[in-house]
Amino acid sequence: MKILSQIFLMLVLFFGCIFLLQKVDWMSLLNINQVSKSSEEKLGDTIWEYIKNDAKEIENKGLSEPIDSLIQKICGANDIDANQLKVHLIYNNEVNAFALPNNHLVVYTGLILAAENEGEICGVLGHEIAHIELKHVMKKLVKEMGLSILLSLASGSGNGDKLKEAIKYLSSSAYDRTLEREADLKSVKYMQKAKIDVEQYAAFLYRLGSDEPEAMKYLSWVSTHPDSRERANYILAQRGMGKIKCQAVLGPQSLQQMKDLIEGINN
Amino acid sequence: MENQTQAWIVKEDEAEKASNAYLMSLIAIIAGLPLPIINLIATLIFYLGNRKGTYFIRWHCLQALLSQLSLLFANSYGFWWTIYIIFGSDHLSSNYFAYIFTLIIFNVVEFIATIYTAIQTRKGKHVRWFLYADICDLLCKK
Repeated sequence: MKILSQIFLMLVLFFGCIFLLQKVDWMSLLNINQVSKSSEEKLGDTIWEYIKNDAKEIENKGLSEPIDSLIQKICGANDIDANQLKVHLIYNNEVNAFALPNNHLVVYTGLILAAENEGEICGVLGHEIAHIELKHVMKKLVKEMGLSILLSLASGSGNGDKLKEAIKYLSSSAYDRTLEREADLKSVKYMQKAKIDVEQYAAFLYRLGSDEPEAMKYLSWVSTHPDSRERANYILAQRGMGKIKCQAVLGPQSLQQMKDLIEGINN
Repeated sequence: MENQTQAWIVKEDEAEKASNAYLMSLIAIIAGLPLPIINLIATLIFYLGNRKGTYFIRWHCLQALLSQLSLLFANSYGFWWTIYIIFGSDHLSSNYFAYIFTLIIFNVVEFIATIYTAIQTRKGKHVRWFLYADICDLLCKK
């Protein structure tokens, strides 16, 4: 009994100490400059404006609406506010999609052209939404570029070269292995909850991972990410054996229509 | 923590070994930082090596081991939280600092208590820690 009361007293002392110290705003006291929400918003918008000036953004409803409906499906099933995402469709033959600060999500038309079904697009979208939800985007930028440069970019005083560098880090280089895996596994959860076939996403990685080196120059999303086959394997392992009755949003015809529209822009 | 005069006479080599149990954990803390398990392993090895020692030696080896064990869980949690902030998706927060500062306070107190106990035990004095001494009484057979 004496020992138990002593253990109890020790625990009260330990957690009481934590409780008291939690009352102090250590972040302000230690002057730790984490990127504030407003800085992230400014940074995201600045980067997007820069990309937009160089790229051809597609505002064709025949293309943006199906992409929106896929995002709505993923977000709706996973309690994510889809309205917070700013989705931009860019005309570019590279198979790529990437997230920017302030919830910007950029999708290249090359991804739609390379996809054989909606599950493949959803897998990539889910992966990028996971990066946003898990706050990987700012973490990566801070790690690669340093906080002071990002803050200067957010305030508008940074130079163009640094902005290009930030875009390069976000669009054509992968996050570190742990973050990529985390985003992949989160994407699988999103897809399962949204009743989207995870196997299609794994098959997409297998297929693109085994393409000829010549074709790899168009496969930014795959070539910059760690071993696609390994990812496909752990995605399948995460999916488990349980069967989920999948519900298609687009269907093959709609996907083909999207591809025709993109080809139309090309011609 | 209390300094108790024991009924038996502690021999020179007994006092040295008992004191070494505490020193072992101190050296291992310095060598094993930031991995919190190293000092526990060191004191465990020292305890096992002295299982057949006299009551005084065994008792103090056990007290050194138990004191390491209780902080191990708290330190491990802090260690993996830090790793998750550096490599994972967590961020620095006031809660994190509150936890880390609590750990620092408890570790410093334990560190000072360990040094004090090592010195006193070397002189042959029987130092009893709050909570751990009672557990040692239960676990250590005369």
